[in-house]
Amino acid sequence: MSISTLFENYSEFRHRHPDGDVPHNPYKWAMAIDLDACSGCNACSVACYAENNLPVVGKEKFAHGQAMHWMRIERYWDQDGREFPDRGARYLPMLCQQCEAAPCETVCPVGATNHTPDGLNSQIYNRCIGSRYCSSNCPYKVRYFNWYDYPTTDNVWPAEMNMQLNPDVTVRSKGVMEKCTFCIQRIRGAEIDAKTQGRLVRDDGELQTACQQACPTSAISFGNLVDPESKVHKQWRAQQVDLDKHEQVKDEEEGGTDLRGYRIYEFLAPYPSIMYLERVRESEI
Amino acid sequence: MHSFLRLSFLLLEFFVAGISYATDAPQSDPADPGVEGSAIDKAAKEKSDGGGSAFSAWESKYFASDPDNVGPAVKQPIEFPHFRHAGDHDKGGMEINCMYCHTYARRSLVAGIPPVQKCIGCHQSIDSVRDKPRIKKLFAYWDAKKAIPWKKVHDLPDFVRFSHERHIQRFIFQLNRPVQEVCGYCHGDVKTMTVARRQKLLSMGFCVTCHEINHPVTAPGGTPIGNQAYWYGMRKPVIGASGILKAQGPNDCSVCHK
Repeated sequence: MSISTLFENYSEFRHRHPDGDVPHNPYKWAMAIDLDACSGCNACSVACYAENNLPVVGKEKFAHGQAMHWMRIERYWDQDGREFPDRGARYLPMLCQQCEAAPCETVCPVGATNHTPDGLNSQIYNRCIGSRYCSSNCPYKVRYFNWYDYPTTDNVWPAEMNMQLNPDVTVRSKGVMEKCTFCIQRIRGAEIDAKTQGRLVRDDGELQTACQQACPTSAISFGNLVDPESKVHKQWRAQQVDLDKHEQVKDEEEGGTDLRGYRIYEFLAPYPSIMYLERVRESEI
Repeated sequence: MHSFLRLSFLLLEFFVAGISYATDAPQSDPADPGVEGSAIDKAAKEKSDGGGSAFSAWESKYFASDPDNVGPAVKQPIEFPHFRHAGDHDKGGMEINCMYCHTYARRSLVAGIPPVQKCIGCHQSIDSVRDKPRIKKLFAYWDAKKAIPWKKVHDLPDFVRFSHERHIQRFIFQLNRPVQEVCGYCHGDVKTMTVARRQKLLSMGFCVTCHEINHPVTAPGGTPIGNQAYWYGMRKPVIGASGILKAQGPNDCSVCHK
């Protein structure tokens, strides 16, 4: 591959899947989060704790930056001079963006994080050696490291609480990196069921992520981006956001920026799989 | 020098422990006293503890006395004769389909062990073996309304999710291979065993050797086996010399590790 073709086909090159893969056929899992609907209630975060066996680390470790919330609500205050009760807050659910050309994947020394044919950025706990390069290289800071062996740490899962651990998800041990997996146990479960019945996963709520399921305002939609009938596909199309572009064409068009859809840090060209829909405000911020 | 001495002691210890283990007959005694009620759990617990030093316990867990067995030697509450149930007719077996008892295999991740009710379902009308010690024990559990505390033989590490469903659906229902052959890929020749023992390594390398092979996804003439969607997730298919479309099994880590 010469330099010129490399530049010409840069996005294609960055999207390259391992040889022998059949990428994005028939699935490419993606998400759309409507910030206009998000009320910052944190239900998604709680649901994620319950679904994915996340340890509750407590105040002290949280203050040390050792929180393990795969999904966090980032809060931003309006900077228009108003004081607290009137001051507008904006919320942004931040989770692993499942980048198509993920910065974390290229730096892993052991290949513990890699791309799946259905467009997920998978994290293989038993392969991880805890070098934490991936976390350093993640622009979204959504990777979390197990500083302790949480199952044996006091008050993480007090007696009997360990009975509520999800058996489909590994309980991670010390020295392992972890992150949002788009509820891969649910995805694989749905894919297996669909395969056995000789069909594709339907877009009728057969497959939901835990955060999506818990969201009281249905701000999160999740589905198969390559299925033209899926809600996620329609949302991405309506907002003219393309997966394989790091500068969206619509931004150059007249009126194109009136559309609400955007992806975070798109210009870094990680090609994230989550599209956010900008919040609509009465006043100019 | 010190390390050499220590090594030789360790080896000697291995050797001695090996001998003492080999002489220790591992199978259960037939004249087991009748179990009832809470005594069952206690008896099963005592049996599983086994006794002996910590080393021999460790050794018996990870090394079996038989070279064919690569897994831990598991002592079951009832020495279940697989050869009698699943074995060939000419060897005194009943040739019962594996999935008659391990009924979840075709529709779930785990194969499952049957409830006591399933055993009783047949055995209540088989009078000829009713007074055999193992059957007496079975009925003791039934009368006490207790589940039999079977031990796991093919135990995978906690970070592995093997799907029985996909393998059974593909090989038995779509490729029409014999049930015992398909189960035997991973479980060995269970129809000749009494208590199931682990004969295959069940390491990741063991899984991958099969996933690296090109498996047919279409029948001759190019017609899809089963429904079309079932081979999605396999790797990029290639057309073999005989015109049959073949694909390697999935090698995506997150299929099993999640």
